[in-house]
Amino acid sequence: MMMKCSRMLLMAAALGTSSLAAAADKVVFQLDWLPGGDKAPVYVGIQEGYFADAGLEVSIASGRGSTDAVTKMATGQSDIGSADIGALMAAKAQDDVPVSAVYPLFTQAPHAFFVLESSDIHSIGDIKGKTVATSPFTSSNAFLPIVLKENGLSADDIKLTKTDPGALGPMLMTGNTDAIIAWVTNVALFQSQAADAGKAIRVLPWSEAGLELYSSAILASDTFLEKRPEVAKRFLKAFAKSVAFTRDNPEKAGEDLHTMVPEVDPAVAAGQIRDTMKLIFNEATEQDGVGVFTPERIAQTWTYVAEANNLPASSLDPETSVKRGFAPESK
Amino acid sequence: MNPKPSPDSRLQQQLLRFAPGLFFVGLIVLWEAVCRLAQLPTFVLPAPSAIFHAFLNVEFSRWMEHLWATLSVALMGFAISIAISIPLAIAMMRSELLSRTLYPLLVVIQSTPVVAVAPLIIVLMGSDDPSRVLITCLLTFFPLVVSTATGINETPAELIELSRSLDAPIRRETWQIRIPYAIPHIFSGLKVAITLAIIGAVVAEFVAAEEGLGYFIQFSTSFFKIPQAFAGLFFLAFISLILFKSVQWVQQIFFGWSLPKKK
Repeated sequence: MMMKCSRMLLMAAALGTSSLAAAADKVVFQLDWLPGGDKAPVYVGIQEGYFADAGLEVSIASGRGSTDAVTKMATGQSDIGSADIGALMAAKAQDDVPVSAVYPLFTQAPHAFFVLESSDIHSIGDIKGKTVATSPFTSSNAFLPIVLKENGLSADDIKLTKTDPGALGPMLMTGNTDAIIAWVTNVALFQSQAADAGKAIRVLPWSEAGLELYSSAILASDTFLEKRPEVAKRFLKAFAKSVAFTRDNPEKAGEDLHTMVPEVDPAVAAGQIRDTMKLIFNEATEQDGVGVFTPERIAQTWTYVAEANNLPASSLDPETSVKRGFAPESK
Repeated sequence: MNPKPSPDSRLQQQLLRFAPGLFFVGLIVLWEAVCRLAQLPTFVLPAPSAIFHAFLNVEFSRWMEHLWATLSVALMGFAISIAISIPLAIAMMRSELLSRTLYPLLVVIQSTPVVAVAPLIIVLMGSDDPSRVLITCLLTFFPLVVSTATGINETPAELIELSRSLDAPIRRETWQIRIPYAIPHIFSGLKVAITLAIIGAVVAEFVAAEEGLGYFIQFSTSFFKIPQAFAGLFFLAFISLILFKSVQWVQQIFFGWSLPKKK
């Protein structure tokens, strides 16, 4: 009995001292893939205390692709997260998915061709007649015909093979393919793999060849936005601070990520962060401001997404995919 | 009087005893030699030494955390499968109506690739342990139902007739005649199911998880850490082997009589 009483007293004392922590609003953040340098800001927000300062207790769930992330937000398994806005638009065009984009992350397309430095492919036009390997489920595949078309080529001008993502690098290094399709967030990773094989790689980003669109963005479940709008605003404000910190301190951000996910090598993560930041801070953000969805670029993104997914342009008003007013004002 | 074994047969016995180990060691040495001589990059095929090095590079406590995550799901799924499938097999044996109704459904469940169903289960039930356990159960319970049902049905008809002629109640017939006859079959099913339980847990982790050996392998390949992924794979195979042996030990210790007599 005495034991029970003292245990209860201890619990009461613990509850009393942690009343501030108990008041924190819980938010489940959904990643669209496994943890890595490109996902660092949310880990930075936790480790540097930005979320705690905003009265938030953020937990992170890994995902298995943008569609998976959108589904988990739509079914209420998570409140807010990062995923491709193109996947959201395609989903919304086909079904009334209760998820909206609230903050742009990548204001440029992350897709690119990776070739060996020794290759005779110097521009996207040179890819004609070459073999190209890609992974089966990447969103890049949908945009491939568009980028080829913008460069005067058609799908028949290349020999496309689909393979496991882990096999792409080895295929390129061993000469089994002339080019691979990957994201520019992984340049550092592929470079280190090429260095192991005594080779170097050249990257041909699709954004430089005319593919101008929003890609990865912060999306949130409509229920979360309707029921807890203030929490969403506080989250995005703290998140924006975390993104800026990640850009200014890639090494520390890599360490923050490593602290929470020990399997991630902090140096590799720092390399990924540097690659990723070019997609978040670039000419588009200089012109429009950070965290701003412009109606023109949203419309342009939908044009590409509709074409890539064979959807009629009239099947969605792209503006319905976006909810402005939650992101902090751009400086 | 037993004839004395000739030196040749003694050598043969020793060879039989050590052959699996020697073969395994030989294979590892060959693998290492091929990797070194052909100077294969680690992302194509890592050498056993690189895999061992990668294994040591991960903290022991992290291995244990990933192991526990996988093992707890696999064992929970396995236990629930046993709890469902053995009574179900007995019930199906006793009721033809139940057998005719449920058997096609069981076949349909078994024929549906669990990899295709797993993402739907995660959407329906969330990405916590219960959905991972369900995915594991879907893989493990079918072999258990089939093996138990087969064992129960293979009880010699004359024994059943004898027990019925002595007015033995169905309960005694089941527990004292049918179940003991089914034990070897049940254990065959358990051996298949325990390895499937690990596969089920890994499939579930591929779809949604924050830790576990399957998640660790997927994570390692996403960072091109191929030797580390191989280390995870070997660890997984080792755990699977231990679990398989554990089922064998349980049979030897508690149901030794059900094993075939050694010559």
